[in-house]
Amino acid sequence: MVRFLRRTGYFVRETWINIRRNLTLTVAAILTVAVGVMLVGLGLMARYASTNALGRWQGGVQFEIFLEPNISGGQIDALGEELRNHPDIERIQYITQEQAFELLEEMLVDEPELLAEVSLESLPPSYRVVPRFAEGELIESLAAQFRQRPGVYSVETGRQQVDAIREWFNSFRWIVLLMSIVLAAASALLIFNMIRVAMFARRREIEVMKLVGATNSFIRLPFIMEGMLHGLAGGIVGAVAAGVLRNHVEELFGRSEILAFFRSFTVTSSQFNTAILATVIMGVVVGALGSAFAAGRFLDV
Amino acid sequence: MIRLDNVTKIYKGETRAVDGVSLDIQKGEFVFLVGESGSGKSTMLRLFTAEESATAGQVHVAGKDLTRISSGRVPYLRRNIGSVFQDFKLLPQKTVYENVAFALEVIGRPKNIVTTQVPAILDLVGLSHKQKSFPDELSGGEQQRVSIARAFVNRPLILLADEPTGNLDPNTAQEIMRLLDRINRTGTTVVMATHDQTIVDQMRRRVIALRAGQVIRDEQQGVYG
Ligand SMILES: Nc1ncnc2c1ncn2[C@@H]1O[C@H](COP(=O)(O)OP(=O)(O)OP(=O)(O)O)[C@@H](O)[C@H]1O
Ligand SMILES: [Mg+2]
Repeated sequence: MVRFLRRTGYFVRETWINIRRNLTLTVAAILTVAVGVMLVGLGLMARYASTNALGRWQGGVQFEIFLEPNISGGQIDALGEELRNHPDIERIQYITQEQAFELLEEMLVDEPELLAEVSLESLPPSYRVVPRFAEGELIESLAAQFRQRPGVYSVETGRQQVDAIREWFNSFRWIVLLMSIVLAAASALLIFNMIRVAMFARRREIEVMKLVGATNSFIRLPFIMEGMLHGLAGGIVGAVAAGVLRNHVEELFGRSEILAFFRSFTVTSSQFNTAILATVIMGVVVGALGSAFAAGRFLDV
Repeated sequence: MIRLDNVTKIYKGETRAVDGVSLDIQKGEFVFLVGESGSGKSTMLRLFTAEESATAGQVHVAGKDLTRISSGRVPYLRRNIGSVFQDFKLLPQKTVYENVAFALEVIGRPKNIVTTQVPAILDLVGLSHKQKSFPDELSGGEQQRVSIARAFVNRPLILLADEPTGNLDPNTAQEIMRLLDRINRTGTTVVMATHDQTIVDQMRRRVIALRAGQVIRDEQQGVYG
């Protein structure tokens, strides 16, 4: 190892020559690595974000009691009174048919034809209920108490949505994971191939090196370093792209009312840093693996 | 320095390139390997450098049993052996100096050794004035001298030469032989495979003649045929 360190100049020079020789291949490999590891980084961030969001909802979930559209004012007030006096309920909010329509208008701002089918009278008024506790099970049983009341159309807890979102996110994670694996494998293969080309281009030098007694690791090292450098470059490009995309997406969530739902999907800066670091490391690992395989495969005593 | 015990080399299960050869080459000897094309000279030299492994029998080179050597030790074996070829095997994009220095650099010799040894060896082969030239700017004889310099710069115990004069005119070949003789006089064991009758007859050194992979003659001050 000491001997290798002493020859740093040699390795840097040889690696640079290799890279310059195959510039187009180099760029292709770096970009493939970049896309692959960018997905890894984004997938990791999405995972953090969904965990954060789900955790937040679980802590502050509310439920909504939808009333029959033709319910009488007396029934509404009686239910309201009961809810307000309930020991397990923190506070409630009454949503009139008009307010329900406004909310719907907001949600369907891009789909006016859908909105046109909905009439004000067909919308149910509702009570939004915030319980004193946050445990999903307890909220569920509290909500169930009101299901059979006269004038109640349905009671919806956030739980179904949270479960649905969790499920959706789980499959999303798998898809991203799968895609990253495929792309990482593709990047490793591309680097493998590149190193093979580089070794073929330098077969005379390799022949002479073997002849005069250079060790295999000495011969391989510049090629492995080259692969790792490509991986590193791809990792950095991928990390930057992931960072830019993340900012862009968060801005989009912040601006758009339709995507307001996703505002809880944020990552902390330490999670972001972890994801970025993982992205770069992934790049280097892919590069090292691809080139180490190539160097091992095409270099025997 | 080199010892073969009943060595056989069979390529791909059919060609018997070396067939039951036993021989002993002492330190400091100068040995010609002769024989018609395909008689197994090059194969024998490749057995010495562990480029090929014997199918049967034992090969000892520089105190090492090559039938048992691990692939990790082979490079260290080769640092004791210089190799010279008919086609020189110089690196075209490196200068004369760089070609010779390369051999030291890639075995991790420190810079100060490189900067003292390379000029010394170029002086020995008489090419100090050409050290900045590229191989394609040199005559065949000069290129072969560079390749000998590269093979000898690490002061190996053994120098193997496979038809080193094969591409050269008679006068240039004589120059190369003088150089190899000088190297031999420093105590280096030299084994040279050749078809060059004039050279063998004139040097009067040990001659090992092969036919179909077998030793048919081994004379101390022999002639070509
Ligand atoms: N790598 C190989 N694979 C298969 N057969 C080989 C290989 N190298 C050599 N041979 C065979 O082994 C035999 C000996 O070849 P070798 O090259 O040792 O002969 P040589 O005496 O050096 O010949 P020349 O004088 O032409 O260089 C030949 O029949 C050749 O075809
Ligand atoms: Mg031959």
